[in-house]
Amino acid sequence: MEYNLIDHLFRHHAGKMVSVLTRIFGLSNLEIIEDAVQDTFLKASASWQKQQPDNPEAWLTQAAKNRVLDIFRRIQSEKKRLPELKNGIETIAINELFLDSEIEDAQLRMIFTACHPKLDPRDRISFALKTISGFSTTEIASALLTKEETIKKRVLRARKTIKKFTISFTIPQGKELPQRIESVLEVLYLIFNEGFHSNNKDVLVRKELCGEAMRLCKYLLKNKHTNISASYALFALMCFHAARLDAKINTENELLDLKSQDRNKWSFPLIQLGNAMMNKAVENNEFSIYHYEAAIVAEHIKASSFKQTNWDKILQWYQQLHKLKPTPAHLLTMAVVCLQNKNYIMASYYFEQINPNDLEQRSYLYYGAKSDYYSEINDKKEALRNLNIAIETVHNNLEKEFLIKKKNNLSN
Amino acid sequence: MKNFMMIFIGKEYVDLGLTEENVQARMEKWFAWGNKMEQAGILRGGEALTTQMRRIVGQDRTVADLTSADVKEIVGGYYLVRAKDFDEVQEIAQDFPDYDLGNTVEIREIMVFDAH
Repeated sequence: MEYNLIDHLFRHHAGKMVSVLTRIFGLSNLEIIEDAVQDTFLKASASWQKQQPDNPEAWLTQAAKNRVLDIFRRIQSEKKRLPELKNGIETIAINELFLDSEIEDAQLRMIFTACHPKLDPRDRISFALKTISGFSTTEIASALLTKEETIKKRVLRARKTIKKFTISFTIPQGKELPQRIESVLEVLYLIFNEGFHSNNKDVLVRKELCGEAMRLCKYLLKNKHTNISASYALFALMCFHAARLDAKINTENELLDLKSQDRNKWSFPLIQLGNAMMNKAVENNEFSIYHYEAAIVAEHIKASSFKQTNWDKILQWYQQLHKLKPTPAHLLTMAVVCLQNKNYIMASYYFEQINPNDLEQRSYLYYGAKSDYYSEINDKKEALRNLNIAIETVHNNLEKEFLIKKKNNLSN
Repeated sequence: MKNFMMIFIGKEYVDLGLTEENVQARMEKWFAWGNKMEQAGILRGGEALTTQMRRIVGQDRTVADLTSADVKEIVGGYYLVRAKDFDEVQEIAQDFPDYDLGNTVEIREIMVFDAH
């Protein structure tokens, strides 16, 4: 077996096993559990070099199960809180937790834990990627383009918060559920976006992040309490985006905008899956931001070429989205959409409502769009001025190259 | 190969007032036993029962809510195992950790109904 494949299997399995073991020993013993799982995989790695098992997944599950006793002893020796085990026969029930359906349940519990509103929003993603997805801190740091030290701190802080508020390892129910699902969807979408909009040149890392977000979202769809229409809409949105992931970067590793993407490279099966999910999402009339975002991407996908895009329809969806969740980024996009439609009055109406500082690191997008606007209305001087600000403020090299190319075209 | 059920009957730890150390030592033995069967590939499943029960008896359907403390012995749970015969299951059942408490393992064969 190739190293990468083992790595991949371990990563996915680690999250599952940590979740199951947490169901047995509780969140207060998370560190001991993670150590034990890590150790199991190190041993597996060594033993597989000699001989690889027929069914690696089953092998790993068994190995984790064998660790139950070790963890039990270790918790005992550290005088930490043991789970409420009152009778030997209960070990039979523990054994049942390693069944596939129970593993899924445990994973869902861990997702809700990682996305708990008491956790700092920045800590949620790092903790989720570490604990559920089995990424190492180094991998998370490189995926999120953040220092490893920062990631370590975030994971540690998340663990402390969980202990401090004695967050329970459950799938929330009743009145609490809708709000908690909302928080989960938000985190999953953020993880997805880290992959999709990432500045990371490493395509594999980006795919891994998008794939993880989709895998975790699937758990929501499998559970009858969490498969609400917003969950389906988010999954549809991810499918539509993911369908275009390969087309976003050309062979020279350059970022391509929608206009220049080869639409033949879009993944048809993912688009089909997205459509099927979208049908599920609109079965009732509760529309979330994910419904509108998915509708927008679907509109782009429907167009056989960039020229064919139905900008009116897209603008309508954005207006709905903006009503539900007003952000400067939506205003900017609406301005850009109006530019596509050559509706300069509306474009300038939206531009005027934006304070570029509100866009923070993405303010270069505002200046880039404004530059386009001035080019269109033949004000070359203003176009150049805005483009220069965009180039000055952009951080990401790929995007910078893109803007400089644009400037050269404009100057010629 | 046939399927057998090992039914565990007796007193609950909590009703015997075992010390925490004693309970933990027994838990370890239970874990070890389960793992041993698992690794031998003979374990087919099992379930543990809670200590609450509602008993309905006789013609009058007399109802009583009881806990393990109220009865002389209680069925605590079962394991399903695959084995050749009773003797083999008896061998497996040697590792049951609670004989010293006076508890019992009852071995029963799972009936397979064959319509000829």
